[in-house]
Amino acid sequence: MKINVKVGNNEDTVTISGEKTIKDLLESMEIAAETVVVKKNDYIVIDEELLEDGDSIEVIQVIYGG
Amino acid sequence: MNECDKCGSPDIIIKKKQSGQKLCSNCFIESTKKKVLKDIRRQNLIEKGDKVLLGLSGGKDSVMLLDILSTLKNRGIIDLVAVTIDEGIEGYREEGVELAIKNAEKYGVEHRVVSFKQYFGTTLDKIIQNNSLEVRRNACTYCGVFRRWIFNRVSKEVGATKIATGHNLDDETQSIVMSYLEGNIQNLTRIGPKSQSKSDKFTVKIKPLREIPEKEIGLYVIAKELDVHFAGCPYAGESFRAEIGTILKQLTVNHPTIMYSTLRGFDRIKPVLKKEFATESVFEVCEICGEPSAARLCKACSFLKQWENQD
Repeated sequence: MKINVKVGNNEDTVTISGEKTIKDLLESMEIAAETVVVKKNDYIVIDEELLEDGDSIEVIQVIYGG
Repeated sequence: MNECDKCGSPDIIIKKKQSGQKLCSNCFIESTKKKVLKDIRRQNLIEKGDKVLLGLSGGKDSVMLLDILSTLKNRGIIDLVAVTIDEGIEGYREEGVELAIKNAEKYGVEHRVVSFKQYFGTTLDKIIQNNSLEVRRNACTYCGVFRRWIFNRVSKEVGATKIATGHNLDDETQSIVMSYLEGNIQNLTRIGPKSQSKSDKFTVKIKPLREIPEKEIGLYVIAKELDVHFAGCPYAGESFRAEIGTILKQLTVNHPTIMYSTLRGFDRIKPVLKKEFATESVFEVCEICGEPSAARLCKACSFLKQWENQD
């Protein structure tokens, strides 16, 4: 399935296979889940939310070093 | 089944690792606000009639605090004035100042923007660029000293009885661990929700968000669609605090209650620390600026004097 992922100003389409969650996606992108808030199709979701084909994911960094 | 523990909504935005509690957006916002107001009452941080100076950087912590303190202002419990300090950090501070102005206006709160330039004739960028002292400290040390000086000075200029800052649970546990690891026991005796200086020349400082995890503050401002400045200070990465912050965040992945237990344990041991180690500083006024100081010169004037001599 294809998912649109936006991190800050960078937007990309990623292809993933099998049943995956937001947590899996963040891990694959090496983003620390404890530093971000994630929106799926404009709504805030929790880490264990399942991804579906065509989803639009926005990763908002809320914690910066220091 | 993932549904809100309070209202049953299936649209939850948080599942708290430390308690397992699941909340939807509205219930999360309400319960967080309630928790902060309860902490303010329990710890007696604010009294009716206080004039509170809020340090408003435009970042998530201070804007969330503005959102909550403005409810006390609207109920006629406190008077509120927001103060934004422009330290002079090019490419970073401008957006924060702009958002601070916007938010103060939105909440109808009196607002002042003050700067290092205005009070000290220089900027943090220049201080770091030109500093050739033998013992050079990192930017956060200078910034902290000058910010505290300005907040105390401005609090007296506006007649504030309290200075409120947006320090959160992560900040506070970092301070505890840092002070302990550095063996700075004097510093440990001063950490807490409310400053307790015997000198009336220091305006009392309060930290109403001290028990709220930083991630939940980020979630609050996004859930409430508040306009905040999300960016890291370019100088923060070089600090010991940043190193400790990274270690603590890493630890919370497998030990979600670690920051709470660090804080709780510290709060229990603090009376003993104070009894054993707190020193009674004799406060005079700084010979140069007139601000309270335990030495002939306050830290801010002492730094300025050293730089004057290096030129």
